[in-house]
Amino acid sequence: MNIALINGSPKPNGSNSGILLSMLEPLIADGNELHPYTPNKRPLTPEEYSELCRMDVLVLAFPLYYDGIPSHLFQLLVTLEGYLKTEREREIYVYALINNGFYEGQQNHIAVEILKNWCARAGVHFGQAIGQGAGEMLGSLDKVPLGRGPLKNLGRAMYSLAESIQSRSAGESLLFSPNFPRFAWKFYSTRSFWHRTARENGLKPKDLRRRM
Amino acid sequence: MRTIIHDLQEQEFAGWLGDTAQEEVTVISDSGAIRSCMGCFGCWTRTPGTCVIKRDGYDNLGELFSRSDELMIISKCMYGSYSPFVLNVLNRSLSYMLPYFVTTHGETHHRPRYKHQFKLSVHFYGSDLTEGEQHTARMLVAANGLNLYSSENNVYFHTSPQHIKEALQ
Repeated sequence: MNIALINGSPKPNGSNSGILLSMLEPLIADGNELHPYTPNKRPLTPEEYSELCRMDVLVLAFPLYYDGIPSHLFQLLVTLEGYLKTEREREIYVYALINNGFYEGQQNHIAVEILKNWCARAGVHFGQAIGQGAGEMLGSLDKVPLGRGPLKNLGRAMYSLAESIQSRSAGESLLFSPNFPRFAWKFYSTRSFWHRTARENGLKPKDLRRRM
Repeated sequence: MRTIIHDLQEQEFAGWLGDTAQEEVTVISDSGAIRSCMGCFGCWTRTPGTCVIKRDGYDNLGELFSRSDELMIISKCMYGSYSPFVLNVLNRSLSYMLPYFVTTHGETHHRPRYKHQFKLSVHFYGSDLTEGEQHTARMLVAANGLNLYSSENNVYFHTSPQHIKEALQ
């Protein structure tokens, strides 16, 4: 099968969507051709849109923005719908790897519905989505094996997604939080992420509350 | 003050304000220059309260929201979401919130930067919207309202922009 891996993060480098795709890749590489697309670095060309119409599977990885899909990826979907309507010659299955900044992965459910609605308009099959809460943690968990510790739920969901992709079938969407206490995640995000980043930028933590 | 975000062509929107021109209205429309959010969190950790993308004229949306009594969105409904331009504007307004989290009713949300609330009114248009898309759009606006601490949310569906104009006048 030809599988497109579309990194829908707006970050050009170091995205959590990229991390999730790199976890999925070894699980679906056997017997398949994987084709990475990075619209986060430059918009897709007309030739690349046409290529996507010839794929068997599209995997979209993206962060939750405003309870939905980031605008640049949304624009890609709008454009791709047009290409699919005129150029698609085979059945295509769509899968999604979503991560959100809030702790509860359940908050990804509206983005999943938007994607299902897009699939219906574009004439492709919605396969399955998985949604990881507290996605910003992923960057600091690169030493943790998938399926262990805070990534236990993610591992279970990722294997389920890989199985659905391999069999080009539909599966239940799985939206989950990390295996990590919420209070500890909140403390960590404030002290080790927001305040640390502020200091790196020459700001004090109280500056982050600035009103214009 | 009322802030209107719309995705209509300038000519299409001309004359919409009519008598409401008496009140203070700020209109955010597509100048063709808007750049996409880069996901850098700079509006929280480098230039708190404003977007780090300065040259396209869409960098002070958070502050604008903090002065708005009503945020009115006029958007084509696409798959149960806003159109790409309106989405882009919303994505660029992240500075309206703080990066910090608060847990309410078992769900995490961002803390507000401002002690302020506005009414959120969303007018979607589209001639062939499915029930599923309308349902999704209602859920989206409700979730946005919750995350933006809006005082109330109203969602309307119209078959065309012209019908929105007639409904508003």
